[in-house]
Amino acid sequence: MILRRVDRFFDERLGSDAWVRYVFAKLYPDHWSFYLGEFALYCFVMLVATGVWLTFVFQPSHAGAFASVIAFTRATPVGYLMRQVHHWSAVAFIAAIVVHLGRVFFTAAFRKPREITWVLGVLLLVTASVTGFTGYSLPDDTLSGTGLRIADAVLLSIPFIGGWAADLLNGGGYPGPLLIPHLYVIHVYFLPVTIGALLALHLGLVFYQKHTQFEPDPAHVVVGRRFWPDYTLRTLAVFFATAGVVTLLGALIEINPVENYGPYHDWLVTNPAAPDWYAAWLDGALRLGPAVEWRIFGHPVPAVFWPGMVLPTLAFLLVVAWPWIDKTITKRDEVGDVLVPPTAAPWRVGVGAALVTAGVVLTLAASDDQQAVGAHVRVTALVTLYRILFPFGSIAVGLIAALLAAELRASRAGRGAERERVVELVRNAEGGFDAREPHST
Amino acid sequence: MSAAALLVAILAALGAAVAAALHDPVVLVGLLAALSAFAAAVAAGAAAVQLRAPNTLTEPRHPQGPSAPPPLPDDVLARRGAFGRLWWIAFAAFALAGLEPLISLGRMPRRNGTAWRGGARLVTPQGTPLRPDDLAVGGVTTVFPEGRVDAPESAVLLLRLQDGVMQLGPERRDWVQQGNVAFSKICTHAGCPVAIFRHLTYELYCPCHQSVFDVLHGAQPVSGPATRALPQLALDLDRDGYLVARGDFAEPVGPDSWWRTL
Repeated sequence: MILRRVDRFFDERLGSDAWVRYVFAKLYPDHWSFYLGEFALYCFVMLVATGVWLTFVFQPSHAGAFASVIAFTRATPVGYLMRQVHHWSAVAFIAAIVVHLGRVFFTAAFRKPREITWVLGVLLLVTASVTGFTGYSLPDDTLSGTGLRIADAVLLSIPFIGGWAADLLNGGGYPGPLLIPHLYVIHVYFLPVTIGALLALHLGLVFYQKHTQFEPDPAHVVVGRRFWPDYTLRTLAVFFATAGVVTLLGALIEINPVENYGPYHDWLVTNPAAPDWYAAWLDGALRLGPAVEWRIFGHPVPAVFWPGMVLPTLAFLLVVAWPWIDKTITKRDEVGDVLVPPTAAPWRVGVGAALVTAGVVLTLAASDDQQAVGAHVRVTALVTLYRILFPFGSIAVGLIAALLAAELRASRAGRGAERERVVELVRNAEGGFDAREPHST
Repeated sequence: MSAAALLVAILAALGAAVAAALHDPVVLVGLLAALSAFAAAVAAGAAAVQLRAPNTLTEPRHPQGPSAPPPLPDDVLARRGAFGRLWWIAFAAFALAGLEPLISLGRMPRRNGTAWRGGARLVTPQGTPLRPDDLAVGGVTTVFPEGRVDAPESAVLLLRLQDGVMQLGPERRDWVQQGNVAFSKICTHAGCPVAIFRHLTYELYCPCHQSVFDVLHGAQPVSGPATRALPQLALDLDRDGYLVARGDFAEPVGPDSWWRTL
């Protein structure tokens, strides 16, 4: 009743009723894997909700940050939960984006006309990761401070402008007096607004171009569910499930116990020292990177530049450009509203599996010191192992995955052919049936 | 089912709020909040299933190609001329002018320097000055210049070794005082504190990226990604017998950059 009156109020002023009806009756194709992106979206909702609360109790200065985090964490159960749920939502947010990206990749949902949506999604992953890292750094504890120091060294390593960029971020040398205030405004303002804008465009395109689907549609139709009430209830369930998962994790499993690390000084460090999971691949790359410092025109290019700056830039460019690389390989530039099962293109499965493996190897390398202790081997042996696995393990896994996908496709095709065999059933003398090829009489 | 679940969600939400207000244990508050969310998810999910709505409704997809006919009259896009070109030049000029405020935000090159000066006593983080015998052989501690504890990039590891085990070049012979030798604690790879001393092998170990430095040979990197030795602080004794620095480091401390000149 109230909804009707609200609708009439706006309709009388804006003529919006037709549009509202269109939105509510719009169809959305349905598949369990389509909810991965929604899981990410609702993690972001949880991040904003808890993050806004945290801005009221956090003191964004080098002098006060750590103490204020400890104070509000200890003062009330709400404070502790807010920080826990915020951090868990952040790691879940990025995980959900990565899995969602995988779904889009393996089902070729990025094809024309959805390349823009893909690029926006990749930008969202990058922005979310940087937002995660800046937030992780805000408590100014020993562990995150060490991470900032490494980030500073990577910035510093950029030829020519590195020193300027690091100086800008720090507001002076390291650790600069403005580092925490800078990170704060970046974390609570610039990056979330960017994420909001990218999300709006990303979802706007999904709305405007309509979602892809698995059902083949030669006649260009969407096959799916109505937004209201069917899909609304489903997405509502996903939202509450997301909220439940991150709240449960926050309540039961302590994440980032900064009170155990202590406040940051540039001469103190934890052992081991490893970042949150989504940044681990970069830390692993720094560990595996060669110990070489080249000189260009007499200027040093530090060792961290290649694994810390060049590698992630290349990875980013590769992923952003994937729709066009795919187009070049498949020589296909038609509209692709219908998703393909991953096995339909074994080579793509191979490429995806290789990229995932490369990321997993680098991530594992980020805790090689702990593995060395656990396995009683030298850490240098693990570094050598991971240096070999990074290219060759990735290629091997990619090849195996491609072969498996091809095998799976072949067996599916076989079974499909069997299912489609049409036979004629004929009554026999015993009262049973005999199968005969049709039209063979 | 849906209504019952929603009732649970309502009660759990109110319970979580009351528990939080009463400062009950975090786990109770969190579990009630999570229960509320999960119950609401079940309510919505069950309601969706109960609708038994088909997943097979259809609607047409709009073709999304280039718009036809041209969206703007030809002459709007086609108008070119000196004035139009001047606008592009103007935009380029505005962008160039805008670079200046951006550049002014950071200094280039960044120079850190340390707080070490000639005659500065080596003090512990608590501010205690040290004599050559204060550390036991095999011992290690972090020191700062007196009065500048916690100064950025100035942390130094003071190590005490047996007299004469150090294998330094002739120019560094008198940088050691009765087995006391000092190196910058800031890793030359990515700036982490090189906090671990393996006294059996005379190695310094960085917990961030596992660079290992050979103390006996002037903290040269022997393993891991570091490429440059930890700068050594030349030590002396003042008139009262306390360890002091002979001056600032001869080389820049910490991670390298383009503008590091040596």
